[in-house]
Amino acid sequence: MSRRHAGKTLLLVSVCTLMVGMGCSNRRGPEGAAGGGVIELTYWPAPNPQEMQLADTLVRRWNRTHPTIQVRMQSIPVSQSTEEVLLAAIAGKTTPDVCSNIWPGALHEYTRAGGLIPLDQFSDFDSIALARTPRDLLEPFRSENGHYYQIPWKTNPVMMFYNIRMFEEAGVARAPRTYSEFFAAAKKLTRDLDGDGQIDVWAGERDIRPIWWQRLFDFYPFYIAASGGKTLFRMGEPDFNDDAARSVFRFFQECYQQNYFPHTYFQGGDPFLLEKKATHFAGPWEVATLHSLAPHIRYDVAPLPVPDEHKGPVYTYGDYKNIGVFGTTKHPREAWEFVKYLLHAEHDLLLLTVTNQIPVRGDLLTNQLFSEYFRQNPKMVRFAEQAASTRGVDAAPDLKEILDAISQEYEACAVYGKVTPTEAVNDAFRRTKMIVEWNK
Amino acid sequence: MRSLWRFDSPRHRSQKTGYWFILPYAVFFGAFVAYPLVFSFILLFHRWNVVTPMEWIGLKNFERLLSDPLFFKAIMNTLKFLLIHIPLQMVVALGIAVLLNSRLKFRGFFRAVFFLPVVVSGVVVTILWQQLYAFDSGLLNRMLSAVGIGKIPWLIDPDMAMLSIALMATWKNVGIYIILFLVGLQDVPRELYDSASIDGATRARQFFRITLPMLRPTFVVVVVLSTIGGFSLFVEPYVLTGGGPMESTLSAVLYIYNQAFYFNHMGYAATLGFVFALIILGVVLLQRKVIETEPMT
Repeated sequence: MSRRHAGKTLLLVSVCTLMVGMGCSNRRGPEGAAGGGVIELTYWPAPNPQEMQLADTLVRRWNRTHPTIQVRMQSIPVSQSTEEVLLAAIAGKTTPDVCSNIWPGALHEYTRAGGLIPLDQFSDFDSIALARTPRDLLEPFRSENGHYYQIPWKTNPVMMFYNIRMFEEAGVARAPRTYSEFFAAAKKLTRDLDGDGQIDVWAGERDIRPIWWQRLFDFYPFYIAASGGKTLFRMGEPDFNDDAARSVFRFFQECYQQNYFPHTYFQGGDPFLLEKKATHFAGPWEVATLHSLAPHIRYDVAPLPVPDEHKGPVYTYGDYKNIGVFGTTKHPREAWEFVKYLLHAEHDLLLLTVTNQIPVRGDLLTNQLFSEYFRQNPKMVRFAEQAASTRGVDAAPDLKEILDAISQEYEACAVYGKVTPTEAVNDAFRRTKMIVEWNK
Repeated sequence: MRSLWRFDSPRHRSQKTGYWFILPYAVFFGAFVAYPLVFSFILLFHRWNVVTPMEWIGLKNFERLLSDPLFFKAIMNTLKFLLIHIPLQMVVALGIAVLLNSRLKFRGFFRAVFFLPVVVSGVVVTILWQQLYAFDSGLLNRMLSAVGIGKIPWLIDPDMAMLSIALMATWKNVGIYIILFLVGLQDVPRELYDSASIDGATRARQFFRITLPMLRPTFVVVVVLSTIGGFSLFVEPYVLTGGGPMESTLSAVLYIYNQAFYFNHMGYAATLGFVFALIILGVVLLQRKVIETEPMT
């Protein structure tokens, strides 16, 4: 081999090595090979077993009746969160055509990346959306530029579950409605059962780790409740430096200071299922969990406690998951047809029966189609009633970091009692403003 | 055969061939050192979350850094760690090195044992210590409870957590510094001790007047290396505490990691990294100045 040849070979090997290292790969688009005039769409539902089962049923029915538009259902790739997967898919242009697990808090990231198409470009969007969802529930999902990149699909109102047996044994007659009532009940509910000086059952418990999404099940729904339905932002600016936020921090601080909530992270199972705590803040998914894992527990569901001076309906966080169509789709009209199919009333009934999650419909409690389900599942009526008084999250940039900032203050103020509620709210608000300013 | 080079003298040929030999390293350097460095510098002035296109924001990342209390808290946490870790590590490493330098049975075995944690994966060691430090079920607290001392909140008390991490990091890294001190000790001329003994110097006096001054170059290396190592504190708080409780173990590198890979703020993370590198440089220069000029005795 000549030296020139050797040199060229070496150069070629080096360049190839570099290219391989930089990830030169043969990327396959989201569209499968659609031959013979058949359009193929890809659909990503949420990766939990119930929703996978629901999606499987719906997709089979669709494919039977739509031979020219075939839908391929895929599980969202496993990761820490769906939001991370979708962002990575947008970056890699490997998004599906349709996804029904869009969390509104991440929508800003998706739209900024050009990942979703506006659904109101379709002429029948308004009629379809408003026929199913009341305008006041639909409006918060409109993006800053006036378009709808998501259509609300289901909601999981966060409410207070309580153990009836533990309430009866402690002499608590009914579910507490205000903070004072909660503290009075908590005093009775938190008990040392075996006289060893250690508390055995608590009034409540929250995950004390400062994980941002944990605040969606304590601070955030309590803030929405205390403020009469406010979210963290107004007109794109942070707006939670108020009495409602301070009262929520004060409430949780009291819970920890009086040992109504344990200062520890429970390992070894859900303490509500183990009857180690009398109340639990969760959404309707807990109904199915209780039914399958602890059918012996007698429980009921009530709205979240609010400050004593609260007037009006009790709002809560709705934990919405919506449907979106991604910009990579080659068949937006067909994808929209599939979205409309998912929103049919019969399929909402299926959503209820298979997943125990609440469709974002205005006629849930009046439409005869759903009456049999609610007759058989009376606990779900509470959630259906609450659904009208829910709020989602703001489509603000860096919501994850903002909730992380609130989490840090929750830990410092509520769990450890190192800062006052006023300081906690001020610090979280200041940091939120800094994050928002940086994003402008 | 056609000549490959224009200048075909054997001398030129050997020089040109050398360039081909360094090409793999040059490619490696370009791809994994130069390119990331240049790209990081570009990122300083951009907002980029990996997904959306990079957006020029001028000095906004620096503005944010100046008003970011969490970064300064992370720096203070790291300095706190260094203040505990470096002296502790030097004292322990020197003490063990002196012992291992004496005539000791199974000296080779002990040298290997003390070095063992250095070669074990940091993540594995940290998970092991997580079990030891566990408040309710940890071995340490069970032993303390058994002797009537009571449980220590190793990782759940904000005032205690960084100390616990420093203890663990010392155990993990001390082996490498023992080796360095051993090398230094073996370089001290035997005659110095002999003449000091003849002059009536005690062992303690010999240690302070001969051993420590002669180890000054080793001290410089140990302090600089453990400072740089300490500044890059990451695995221990990441695995043990996640930066908590109350951000008391949030190290600067962990904060930079969170900004980059948890919040996808690549530009801001690059800015934090850049400023942090300058701080490390400043501290190391200061240390060298102090240690190299101050007499040890």
